[in-house]
Amino acid sequence: MRKLLEIAARSADQAEVFGIRYDSGSLLMRNGTPTDVSASIQSGYALRLLRDGRIGTAYTKNLLDRDQLVKNALAGLEGGVAAGFTFPGPTALPTKPEPDGAIASMGFRELERRGREVLDALRGRVAGQIDVYAGRGVSEITVVNTSGLDVRDAGANMVLYAALLFPNTESSVHRFRVSTSPEGFPRNELDELVALYEAGLPEVDVESGRMKVLFTPDTLYTLLWRLSAGISGKSFHDGVSPLIGRIGEKVISEKITYGGDPTDPCEPDRRFFDDEGSPTARRAFFDRGVFTGPVLNLDYAAKLGMRPTGNGFRKGDEPVASLPSPSIDSAFLAEGDSGLEAMVASMDRGVIVLGVLGAHSGNILNGDYSVGLDPGYFVRDGRIVGRVRDGMVAGNAYETMRAVAAVEDVAHRSPMGGRYPAILFDDVSVSARK
Amino acid sequence: MLDRLGAMIGDAAADFADIRYEIKRETDVTFAGRELRNIGANGTDGFVIRVLKDGGFASATVTKESDVPRALELALEAAETLVGAGGKRTELAAVPVTRTEVVPDLVEDPARVPMDEKLAVTRACNDLMLAQPEIGTTNLSYREVDRTKYYVNTEGSAVSERIVTTNIVGEAIAKRGSLVQNMRVAIGGADGFHTLRGREDVFVERATLAGRLLDAEPVRGGTYDVILSPMLAGVFTHEAFGHFSEADIIEDNPSLRAKMSLGAKLGSEAVTITADSTVPGQIGFYRYDDEGVEVRPVTLMDRGVLTGRLHSRRTAAAFGEPVSGHAVAEDMRYEPIIRMGTIFIEPGAKSFEELLRELGDGLYLVDGKGGQTSGENFTFGAGYGFHVRGGRLGGMIRDINIMGNLFSTLASIEAVGDDLELSERGGCGKGQLNIKSALGGPHVLVRHMVVGGV
Repeated sequence: MRKLLEIAARSADQAEVFGIRYDSGSLLMRNGTPTDVSASIQSGYALRLLRDGRIGTAYTKNLLDRDQLVKNALAGLEGGVAAGFTFPGPTALPTKPEPDGAIASMGFRELERRGREVLDALRGRVAGQIDVYAGRGVSEITVVNTSGLDVRDAGANMVLYAALLFPNTESSVHRFRVSTSPEGFPRNELDELVALYEAGLPEVDVESGRMKVLFTPDTLYTLLWRLSAGISGKSFHDGVSPLIGRIGEKVISEKITYGGDPTDPCEPDRRFFDDEGSPTARRAFFDRGVFTGPVLNLDYAAKLGMRPTGNGFRKGDEPVASLPSPSIDSAFLAEGDSGLEAMVASMDRGVIVLGVLGAHSGNILNGDYSVGLDPGYFVRDGRIVGRVRDGMVAGNAYETMRAVAAVEDVAHRSPMGGRYPAILFDDVSVSARK
Repeated sequence: MLDRLGAMIGDAAADFADIRYEIKRETDVTFAGRELRNIGANGTDGFVIRVLKDGGFASATVTKESDVPRALELALEAAETLVGAGGKRTELAAVPVTRTEVVPDLVEDPARVPMDEKLAVTRACNDLMLAQPEIGTTNLSYREVDRTKYYVNTEGSAVSERIVTTNIVGEAIAKRGSLVQNMRVAIGGADGFHTLRGREDVFVERATLAGRLLDAEPVRGGTYDVILSPMLAGVFTHEAFGHFSEADIIEDNPSLRAKMSLGAKLGSEAVTITADSTVPGQIGFYRYDDEGVEVRPVTLMDRGVLTGRLHSRRTAAAFGEPVSGHAVAEDMRYEPIIRMGTIFIEPGAKSFEELLRELGDGLYLVDGKGGQTSGENFTFGAGYGFHVRGGRLGGMIRDINIMGNLFSTLASIEAVGDDLELSERGGCGKGQLNIKSALGGPHVLVRHMVVGGV
């Protein structure tokens, strides 16, 4: 990487190299039987050059020809993409422990053993199919630039996932656990999962209408994706965010504080710098309902004349192939003061959203959502009646986030990323067969 | 290259091994509004190895050639773990040994089109959208994916194929006050750059529609009779039915597998569904899948009766059904999984006007805006739509998502139009992104669909 930087520096005012390496293995058990086992060892390098106020970029996964990579970036630079930013210099960053070697050395037999432990704890307790996933991954990210920045982060994660499928469907309730050391599910979590499953066994038809809706931590991303699109520095620069001109205004319920904190010690992917080398920090973009400002990387901060927020991340399944964009990493929603059982008990008539279909569809920038329940539980007089047949919830994320009835007092990690409490909303549209 | 690959797996201590090496070159020109955001070309490569040993079948992917021996070790360890744990036993369906090199029939090879011209064509389309009333901004990209795949297995097959897709894709975004509406646009194909020339009318039409959405009424949630446009019928076919035709989706779910038995009457007489990745020039076109098997068209449903299924060699053996050439990987980072390719309902006999009259009151829903499936439940979004009253189109509507159950919805398709339109872009996210997951169909009339709305 450093040799590449040296070559690139000869042709540009500034240069930056982002490198990533990851090594992962996974084992899936479907219907109680191991079905798929796979491994992957991948690497990648992304180069950015700045010269005369322009930027050129290039990437490859296999660094066989450094000169060609530089040529590709220079060709892009000739294309005329403007860049008003510079790469950051070195900053004193906190350090974190090296990854747990027990994860790096974990073989497939160990993954199978840990998956089977979960399976054995659930087997015979439910009528439907049990699926279990066990995976491990180690990764290393390095960012170096000609301003003197040279930062590295290494991490290791183990993931366990258990799903209980309702009979004759693929609809399920599940539990997810990610850890930085080898860990199993606490027994009480699996007991809760079984109880949740049993509560949803009856299928019920629900009459369409407006009612209370409780989004669980695993489904809140439906709303948060839409808020995140609105607070992106790109949406501000492009003039299409519904929040333009509203910095400092209370735009959603004061019960909501939403942001990102890659430095959180609880984060399995704890990071002290973003993918551009800017320092990360805990930042609330909605603080008790007040919009505090857009999410910014180096590029959009310069375009908007603001300071970067340390949110320049390369998203997608191939980080080197995507440019750093303003993105919330390690998202959080602040806990409230309500117990989950009390929240459900307070629902006279409503739906608990446990899984959604189609969260990526619709007019996300405007905040509109319309998602299928997969599954959703119907609640009447504070008690779960059963699983909704063919139901949808729909609305506008900003309007829904203004109608917060209660926020759970505990945050849970979501398989979609982030740590969130469950949130109960008033007056949300539910469509169903009746 | 094929000989080198053969040598890499020749000594594998397995009953079967295969290796796929792929070189992928991507070209991107991206505009956000009037601003050029990215321009450039990148090349990369990588290896995928699979082994079958004592019935255990596993894979490993690596970027570097020096890691190939380690990938073989990992794949063997994974296969042995599967067998030792009493996991799934795999057999591979027998296929002919194939040794061939497929060179695409390109009308205008994008690799020979200068970058300046790609920039100019994209900029012209972008400028046209920005010039339409109420358009606040755009996101528009030229995307060229040029893959050369080399496949070798220990049975003696050696296949190479170059696959080139070119697209201009993006959206026009209209804004009035705090109201923002967008309209997707996509043109492209698999037979060269020429598919992008002379298509300016498409961009004007899509941007105009985005502006009109500002005055459209949000749909009210409820149950409606609907006519789906060809693109939306394609999304429905892909999401609601197509994934169930992929054998790997249902193979480990006994109840779904039983419901999807060949010969089962699942749909109405009006419905015949085909998966055909051999339509020349179409975005979903390819000749050989990532197991070196030649793809063939498959009639999945014939007048409501399930007649075919899409397979890899593994699932074909497990189901006792013929191979179909549908084991496809996104690229060199992934093992192949079963992908449906170009899927569509075959046209019927009714004109659009006849369908409107038959509908009476309901909704006409147009264009796909993404979808998702989970088991027999599906959802998908429509770009826009219109009320239909007394067989006549009424006011424009927006914010439309539909949910349903595969089996009840297939039976609710009442009539099929006499037209056929296929998409110019793909983008299925079943674990891996498949940019060749093309779809389409005729207009289709469906009764009793649940539409989410405010």
